[in-house]
Amino acid sequence: MAKLLMDQLTKTYDNKVTAVENFNLTVEDEEFIVFVGPSGCGKSTTLRMIAGLEDISSGTFSIDGKKMNEVQPKDRDIAMVFQNYALYPHMTVYENMAFSLKLKGMPKAEIKDRVRNAAEILGLMDYLNRKPKALSGGQRQRVALGRAIVRDAKLFLMDEPLSNLDSKLRVQMRTEISKLHQRLKTTTIYVTHDQTEAMTMATRIVIMKDGVIQQVGTPKEVYDQPDNVFVAGFIGSPAMNFFNGRIEGNYFVMGQTKLLIPDSALPEGLDNQEVIIGLRPEHITHKPVKDESTVEVNLDVVELMGSEYMVYATLEGHSFVGRVDANLDLAAGTVFPMAFEMDKARFFDPTTEKRIK
Amino acid sequence: MRTKDFAYWLFLAPVLIALTLVVIVPMLLGVYYSFTSWNGITTGEFVGFQNYIDLFKDERFLASLWFTTKFSVISVILINFIGLSLALIVTSRIKTSNLLRTTFFMPNLIGGLILGFIWQFIFIKVFASVGEMVGMESLQVWLSTTETGFWGLVILMSWQMAGYIMVIYIAYLQGLPKELLEASEIDGASSFQRFRYIVFPLVAPAFTVSMFLTLSNTFKLYDQNLSLTGGGPYNSTEMVAMEIFNTAFVQNTFAYAQAKAIIFFVIVAIVALFQVYWNKRREVEM
Ligand SMILES: Nc1ncnc2c1ncn2[C@@H]1O[C@H](COP(=O)(O)OP(=O)(O)O)[C@@H](O)[C@H]1O
Ligand SMILES: [Mg+2]
Repeated sequence: MAKLLMDQLTKTYDNKVTAVENFNLTVEDEEFIVFVGPSGCGKSTTLRMIAGLEDISSGTFSIDGKKMNEVQPKDRDIAMVFQNYALYPHMTVYENMAFSLKLKGMPKAEIKDRVRNAAEILGLMDYLNRKPKALSGGQRQRVALGRAIVRDAKLFLMDEPLSNLDSKLRVQMRTEISKLHQRLKTTTIYVTHDQTEAMTMATRIVIMKDGVIQQVGTPKEVYDQPDNVFVAGFIGSPAMNFFNGRIEGNYFVMGQTKLLIPDSALPEGLDNQEVIIGLRPEHITHKPVKDESTVEVNLDVVELMGSEYMVYATLEGHSFVGRVDANLDLAAGTVFPMAFEMDKARFFDPTTEKRIK
Repeated sequence: MRTKDFAYWLFLAPVLIALTLVVIVPMLLGVYYSFTSWNGITTGEFVGFQNYIDLFKDERFLASLWFTTKFSVISVILINFIGLSLALIVTSRIKTSNLLRTTFFMPNLIGGLILGFIWQFIFIKVFASVGEMVGMESLQVWLSTTETGFWGLVILMSWQMAGYIMVIYIAYLQGLPKELLEASEIDGASSFQRFRYIVFPLVAPAFTVSMFLTLSNTFKLYDQNLSLTGGGPYNSTEMVAMEIFNTAFVQNTFAYAQAKAIIFFVIVAIVALFQVYWNKRREVEM
């Protein structure tokens, strides 16, 4: 059980690449924090600084108030799951899980108890005597998890643990890891580039880009109240739609198109300003009654997802995605009135790309 | 089964013919001669197993065999130990590692005979002067006793081959997945434990290659032996290859030497096969 504090963490590699810059984060006990961001944004680097596998260039990292910068990885009391599992190929599943306990000098009987316990939780009892080579990807992943949980460590670190699995197994392991966390309550930091994993697993999400934190918040916060265009576009699938235009009175004007914004939704002082508005696909839809935010658009592509259509269309040079109930009959190439729910729109400054509240 | 047509054998033919001419025929001829009293000039008559019976009573031959065995065992251990240590040094994060690699590998580029003379100079002149300066008797008599001759050869051989073996270990060490070492670090392993439980078992395949190379090289050693000690004093540092050479070309008992060579071959083959088998069993597939 641990409380973490990262204060101005910065990592500059030998080749002068600054991978992480001024990373500030406080993690409370029992939290499940997910670092998410595109590849190369510094998630692994941050995690590795926390693990002690990478030196911290500047800033401090502490666990439970104790500064960890100079502490060896083995003395930090953390467990880590690697992307490609990093199982010891010459040891059996049992030996892999028992290794850290053996190094601690724990009595054999207790090691056996703990390993069996973990194996039971993870459904590995039948494989204890196998070498990693003789396991499937999912089973290897479980062993890697098992190796972490037998430790009873203060902190779990996981670096894209599911990215080598096929999509079905990934979804399954995702829930298993979440369940494991609910059961063990160990503070966890989980790295992924997959926003779905972040949204479904995290208690709080840290969104990163180019080594800099973009936003920290609960899944709901980052989805509903994105701080900037990047976060808005990164979280959510399909991604949020963006339209460049300007505000004229109560209207969002973009070329020939004018969309009415309800008073309550329009931030103050935007009159005659250029803005970017963001609308999620579920807020561009079909309404029985047309109003001043309904636009006739030509449908480019229509995908039936079962209960709804994903509708791809273009408006004033901006392609966008909308969602329409599957009860209607839609076809690509036809003209269809789409309702833009402007009360749900998010406004962004086109130069800073920050959200205007 | 794949059918082996004409073209298959055609492409294989050059190698097969060459192998037959330079390996198989001489080998069989050699076996035949070992049962005769051939002296290099006349083919001699068929003497059955007489040569083989004689050589097991030949003290000089048995002594050289024992000397070679002792030399090989100690050298193999030392070379592999030093080679692995050097490999660990140059794969750790030190700045001069490229320079060190080159330096450690250099002795290999010098021919065995020259190397022998260089070390003869070092052991006799340099050791003696140093011994005189610091007043250590034991440094002044190098190569003049069996004991110092033996260790002289071991040192020479280790110095020459360790760099070569180092290269093999480097290849294996660099092939170790970095995450495994990191995982063990997080699992709480000290650097010694990491070596003992992770690195060492995983470079096991390198032992197969390295031990085979060192063993066959030390067993067949000739030129370094010739130039460093010349077998002296009193043939006491004579190794099998040199003993066989002397039997053939100094004493002109070619058939007898041939018999010794065949025994030598059998021993080397058995040792090598056994050792490859034994090492293979311990290998780990990643
Ligand atoms: N050992 C290293 N040396 C130099 N640059 C590195 C090293 N490791 C990572 N980087 C750089 O740091 C940045 C962040 O990398 P990383 O933390 O691995 O990203 P992520 O895990 O988010 O994909 C990248 O630009 C990468 O090229
Ligand atoms: Mg990464």
